[in-house]
Amino acid sequence: MRRMTLPVAAVVTLLASTACGGGGQEGGDGDGGGNKSVTVGAIPIVDVAPLHLGADQGIFDKHGIDLEIENTTGGAQAVPSVVSGDYDFAFGNITSIIVGRSNDLPLTIVSNGVTSTGEQGADFGGVVAPEGSDITDAKDLEDKTVAVNNLENIGDTTVRNSIREDGGDSDTVEFVELPFPEMPAALDRGDVDAAWVVEPFLTSSLNGGATEVASNFVDADPDLSVAYYFTTEQMINEDPELVDDFTAAINESLTYAEDNPDAARDILGDYTELDSEAIDQIRLPRWPTENYQEPAQSVADLMMHDGVIESQPDMDALFR
Amino acid sequence: MKTATADTARPPARPSGAGGRPRTLRRPPDRAVLGTIGVIGFLLLWEAVPRIGLVPSRFLPPASEVLATLGERLVLARFWTAVGDTVLTWAIGLGIAFAAAALLGFVVGSIPVLRAFTSSTVEFLRPIPSVALIPLAILLYGTDMASTLLLVVYAAFWQIYIQVLYGVSDIDPVAEQTARSYGLGRLARLRYVAWPSALPYVLTGLRLGAAVALILTITGQLVIGTPGLGQEISVAKNSNATELVYALIIATGALGVAVNVGVRALERRTLSWHPSVRGEENA
Repeated sequence: MRRMTLPVAAVVTLLASTACGGGGQEGGDGDGGGNKSVTVGAIPIVDVAPLHLGADQGIFDKHGIDLEIENTTGGAQAVPSVVSGDYDFAFGNITSIIVGRSNDLPLTIVSNGVTSTGEQGADFGGVVAPEGSDITDAKDLEDKTVAVNNLENIGDTTVRNSIREDGGDSDTVEFVELPFPEMPAALDRGDVDAAWVVEPFLTSSLNGGATEVASNFVDADPDLSVAYYFTTEQMINEDPELVDDFTAAINESLTYAEDNPDAARDILGDYTELDSEAIDQIRLPRWPTENYQEPAQSVADLMMHDGVIESQPDMDALFR
Repeated sequence: MKTATADTARPPARPSGAGGRPRTLRRPPDRAVLGTIGVIGFLLLWEAVPRIGLVPSRFLPPASEVLATLGERLVLARFWTAVGDTVLTWAIGLGIAFAAAALLGFVVGSIPVLRAFTSSTVEFLRPIPSVALIPLAILLYGTDMASTLLLVVYAAFWQIYIQVLYGVSDIDPVAEQTARSYGLGRLARLRYVAWPSALPYVLTGLRLGAAVALILTITGQLVIGTPGLGQEISVAKNSNATELVYALIIATGALGVAVNVGVRALERRTLSWHPSVRGEENA
C-alpha cells in the first residue's frame, strides 16, 4: 500500500491546495484540423500490446490521433500523472483506479485494458510454488508466505479470495511485497513459499520447475479485467470528442490484437526486451471490448472485504 | 589565470618539487597491472560462480554472456540514445546544482549572521533523501526529464553547498587581513583570496556531487521512468531479460568510472598550482 498511498495522498493534498488547477497542459490541441496529439502512459509489458499494435497499424492515426506512448513504471505513477494532466490517458490497474476513485480523484475508465483468459491453469497470471513444494492448491497457502508485487492490491485480494473459495482461511496467509522480476529468485531461495506472478515471469517460473497452484484472476471472475485505460472527468468535460476518438481507437486496437495474436506477439519484440523464445511461449491475455465493466464489481467487493477501501465507490461513475 | 592567483592566495604549505619521495617511482605501472589483474580476477570469478552452480545462471548469467549482450547493445542506436539522455540529465542537474550551491555557498558562507541563521534549516533539509521527493517530482513534472532533474539537483546541491561553506570558512585570516591592508576591495578579495583558497573544497564538492548526481539520475530513470539507462534497465527487468539487466548495469558502472575520472582530471588541472595536487602528481 505504501507505494500507492504516497502519490495518491500527495495528489489529494495538491488538489486540495490548488483547487484543482492542473488543467494547463493538456496534450491535445486540435487547431489546424490535423491529428490531435495524445499522450498515454503505459507500463511496457505484454498487457499493453494492443496499444502499441494500434499505433503500429495506423489505427490511432485513422481516428485522428497522434499517439505518444510514455513508458511508465506502474500504476502508482500513472494515476498522479493522469490527474496532473501530464498524460491524457493511462493504462492502470483496477485497484489503483478504485482506490483513487474512493479518495475522490476524478478518474474515469474509458475502455477495457486487459482481461483474464478465464481458463484455470492457463491464465496470464497465477500463483506458483517452487519445485518440490508441498503446496498443490490454493487451500495449501494457509499459514504460508506469498509474494505479491504490491500489498493491498489486486494480487493479495484475489489470492485471499482463491484461498477462501478453496475452503481455506485467508487470514492466515502472509503477503510479502516483491517486484515481479525478483520473485523467481525468492522462490528458489525459499524466502517465500509461493508467489503471485504474471507473464513473462509465470512462464519462466514454470520453465524453472515451479508448479501453478491457483489461477487467482479466474477464481475471482472468469472475465476479470486486471487493468483499464482511464482518464479524468476534467479531460472528458474539456474534449469529449477526443475521448470518443481515443476510446474508438483503443477498442479497435484491442479487437485487432485479440483477432491477431501473432501480430500481438510480434509487437512485443518492439517495446519490450522479451527474447524470441519467451515471446513464443508466454500466455497471452484476452482483450475483449464488451462486458468488461461488471467484473470490476468483483474486485471492489474483494477490496471491501479485505478493508483496502472503506466504502464502495460509485461503480457507474467509474466508467464512461 | 590559475598560476597568477597561486602566489597571492597562500604560501606553499609544504616544500614543493619532486625531490621528497624517491620510492614512488616504480608505483604507477604496478597500479595499472594490479588493476587489470583485479578486473580479470573478478570477471573469472563471475564466470565461474554460475558455471559451477553456486548461483543459478538464470539469475546470474556468466560474465561472458553478459559481456556478449553488452557488445550487441553497443551497436544499437537505442543504447546510445539512452546513454545520451542519462549524460544530459546528469550534466544539466549537476550544472544547476553547482551554480546554485557555489553562489549560495559563497554568499551565505561569507556572511556569518546569514550562516548562523540558515544552518539549522540546512541541517534539516540536507538529510532528506532525494528519493523521498519522487511523488512530488511526478506531480510537478510527470515523467519528463525534469522529474529526475529535481532529484538530481536536490541531492547534488547539498554535497557541493556544504563543501563551499567549509571552503569559505577555511580562508586564512592572515591572508584576508593582508589583502585588506593592501587596500583590496571586496570583489578583489573574493577573487584573489576567497576563491583560490575555497577552490579545493569547491572541487571536492563537485566530485562528490557528480557521483551522487549520477546515482540519482539512474534512480530517477529506474523508478519514475524518465528516459535513459535507468529506464532501459527497468524495461529489461520487466521483460525478464536478465543478461541485458546486468549488461546495462555494467554500462552505468562504466559511466560512473568515466565521470569520476573526468572530474578528477578537471580537479588536477584546475588545482595544478595547489600543494595537494602538486604532491599527488609526483606521488
